[in-house]
Amino acid sequence: MANLQEISDKVYDYLKTKNNTKGDFSICEVERHEITMKDGKFTLFRTMFDDSFSVKVIKDNKKGTASINKCDTESIFKAIDDALLSTESGKADECFDIAPGMDEESFKYGVLTPDIDKLMERTKELSDTIAAKHPKIKLIEMFTKYVRAHVVFRNTNGTKDIEEYGFYEISLEFAGNDGETSTGIAGSWAIFDSLDKELITIGNIEKDLEDTENSLNPMSISEKFDGDIIFTPDCGAQMLRYLMMNAVSDSTLINKTSVWIDKIGQQVASPMLTISSKPSDSRIVQHEVHTADGFRSKDYTLIDKGVLKCFATSLYAANKCKVNRAENTSGSLIVEAGDTPVKDMIKSIKKGLIVGGVSCGRPGVNGELSGVAKNSFYVENGEIKGAVIETMINGNLFDMVKNIKKISKEQVCNGTMVMPYIEIGNVTISGKTSE
Amino acid sequence: MIEDILSQHKKLFETSMQTVLRGQESRYRRIVIQNGNLVANERSEESGICAKVYFNGASGFASTSEYSDEAVKKVVEAATNNAKYLDKYNTEKKNAYPSMPYSMIKSPRMIIDFEQKRLVDICKEIDAYIAKTYTDILSRTVVYREDTMEKIIISSDAADGHVSYPRCTIYVILNMASKDGQPLELFESFGGFGHIEDNFSNLSDLYEKIDELHNKLAMKAEGVYADAGVKTVILHPDVAGMIAHEAVGHTVEADLVQGGSVAGPNLGNKVASELVSIVDYAHTAFGKQAPLPVYVDDEGIEAQDAVLVENGILKGFMHDRESANFYGVKPTGNARGYAFSDEPLIRMRNTVVLPGKDKLEDMIASVDDGYYLVQTGNGQADLTGEFMFGINLGYEIKNGKLGKAILDTTVSGVAFDMLKTVDMVSDTVTWSPSGTCGKKQPMAVSMGGPAIKCKITIGGR
Repeated sequence: MANLQEISDKVYDYLKTKNNTKGDFSICEVERHEITMKDGKFTLFRTMFDDSFSVKVIKDNKKGTASINKCDTESIFKAIDDALLSTESGKADECFDIAPGMDEESFKYGVLTPDIDKLMERTKELSDTIAAKHPKIKLIEMFTKYVRAHVVFRNTNGTKDIEEYGFYEISLEFAGNDGETSTGIAGSWAIFDSLDKELITIGNIEKDLEDTENSLNPMSISEKFDGDIIFTPDCGAQMLRYLMMNAVSDSTLINKTSVWIDKIGQQVASPMLTISSKPSDSRIVQHEVHTADGFRSKDYTLIDKGVLKCFATSLYAANKCKVNRAENTSGSLIVEAGDTPVKDMIKSIKKGLIVGGVSCGRPGVNGELSGVAKNSFYVENGEIKGAVIETMINGNLFDMVKNIKKISKEQVCNGTMVMPYIEIGNVTISGKTSE
Repeated sequence: MIEDILSQHKKLFETSMQTVLRGQESRYRRIVIQNGNLVANERSEESGICAKVYFNGASGFASTSEYSDEAVKKVVEAATNNAKYLDKYNTEKKNAYPSMPYSMIKSPRMIIDFEQKRLVDICKEIDAYIAKTYTDILSRTVVYREDTMEKIIISSDAADGHVSYPRCTIYVILNMASKDGQPLELFESFGGFGHIEDNFSNLSDLYEKIDELHNKLAMKAEGVYADAGVKTVILHPDVAGMIAHEAVGHTVEADLVQGGSVAGPNLGNKVASELVSIVDYAHTAFGKQAPLPVYVDDEGIEAQDAVLVENGILKGFMHDRESANFYGVKPTGNARGYAFSDEPLIRMRNTVVLPGKDKLEDMIASVDDGYYLVQTGNGQADLTGEFMFGINLGYEIKNGKLGKAILDTTVSGVAFDMLKTVDMVSDTVTWSPSGTCGKKQPMAVSMGGPAIKCKITIGGR
């Protein structure tokens, strides 16, 4: 194992020899162990050792970046020279910058010593549990993984962050299968930091399995109507990420295509909706300690009771668009819980869907969403009637966040986000209709 | 070009195990100019070595980013130990894979690197052309993306190889206000296999295509919403290619067939109109080099064409050694890994609907009321063959003639149902050479097809 701090000192000194240059870099060593099970049998065990170095340099207000997966000084110095060479072709822009210096700090969190034998046991136990409790689930593939990283981040303003962390990860791919029919592929994913509990209790695994088992023999909806939908936590997170990409991200602001570009301080969503990004939240397993630009990461609220508080901008976009930069890179999404139990949300629906996934392309900047409802259930007069097939939902993301009717008391945490169920009114639902 | 330090280490392979050693270098270049601002100017390289060792029905794998003799020893030993570790948990032992004949396979060309300045200058020139030529757009983005790979494959009981996959693409994305003031987007990608001199030596050709893109966007800005429901449509070759890949191709990847895909029970059955044939070509299609030529896969298997659907009958699957062994057929050479640290998975290569005999104009003339669906930016399908594609560009067809452009919509259906409705297939194949497929790992793929006439469900309010 290389001495990353020693290497970082040499790299820092090398970068300092470059006149009129500011920049930041990170050196990282990662070790991963991954177990694969297919159809209840262990099929692959992988061990991966990787290094990485990435650098951003700004010279004469021109930016260049380079990254390699080596951490010997010769390769790193060449990467820095390559990045500097790239700046020569760049366009000067005063908005390129790095964060001011921060005091040197070290961070250690998560699982720094893995227990691979225990991870094997837990993996086998989960496979056996699924076979016993969910006989109509075909476990196509399951990965359990341990990831450990050691990172040194520095910038030419004096920042030095040393970070060591480790976590476990699980990813399942499965389908409902009763020997005659099969559902579409479903999945469940989470990261976690303890092997004390059975893996089936992690994230939303148990519920995802149940929903898939109940999705065999789906029904077709033969009509088109406007109804209510409940986004499951996973699906709700997907929709909110689309919304953020189209409304508050760097590119949409630089391109001036965001329909929220002049809406800071204004009501853009239902007062029930509060969205934050909180890397320091105890439920988040992998904490971000600094932003990509080198600022100390802090929690922030994007939408507070429906009011847009800020944009999810990097330092460059903030300088470019003359707005405040976001306090972190917006990866730890937390939506505040509401006060309605999920079962009561379902009971209140006259006609609609519980939507577990939407197979769709990224909605355009106007927010129009049109996609196939996957892992979804038809609800009528407060009762779940069955899973659906060939059913589409259509709406507009910007309207949807205004049309939130309820948010669940329950939240699901997968180690990277905390999300409740969200009920939206007035969404167009259409089955396979005839010409 | 990476140096072959691997082949001399075959002696490290344990005789009772089947081992593949892979050295790989991947290079990524990314340049983004948004409204004249150079917001990304990135160079990235990664290289390393991996070994996969098959033993008694399970495999050990190890990788390292070091590229040295020492690293070779380290990964072979670690992968072998991992295979033995897994064997302790393996209650059902399996026989070794059938051995394959030895050969040394090389792809005909290697990778050329260009200075970043030259790449940036090309993007700047294109951006300047767009800025100067079009005054009616809201925003413009020019993206250069290069993802090239070079691999050395050394196997214990199959072929060895040294292959490369150079690929570069320029994306142009334009935004314009619709008639009611909403921002609308349209993009086009240019390029494919090879490097910048293969693809962008004459920018005036590119400008003509950008002019076409702008004209299409202007028509879309005056566009109307498509009517929802099951409609008669002509799918442009790009859309037909996406269906070949997403809605059919994934269901016939043998690992997903084992996972319960709809294709499993349908082998030998009629799954499409007899006008429909679909092939996953390895390296040569229609007498020419395919857009993503794969000569040997990452298990050391010489790549073969995989006939998937022939005259409407489901004929076969795409295989790696494991699935071929399971189904008792020969592997097709479809196993590829994206990064050096990725294990090979069954991946498509050049998946295409074969051409028919119809002329596109006759196909359009045959539709009284329907749509010509021209561009899709994305698509997804699952094990049941249920698919969804976003349609970014299309036109009404009224009384056999193209009408107004339509706004973004989505089409969906079940592949084997939809393909049975195909009643015309055009005589010209167009490739989409810059695809990236996601299946645990990303992977370079190409897809294509002729225009096809069929019935499909269009979403809408």
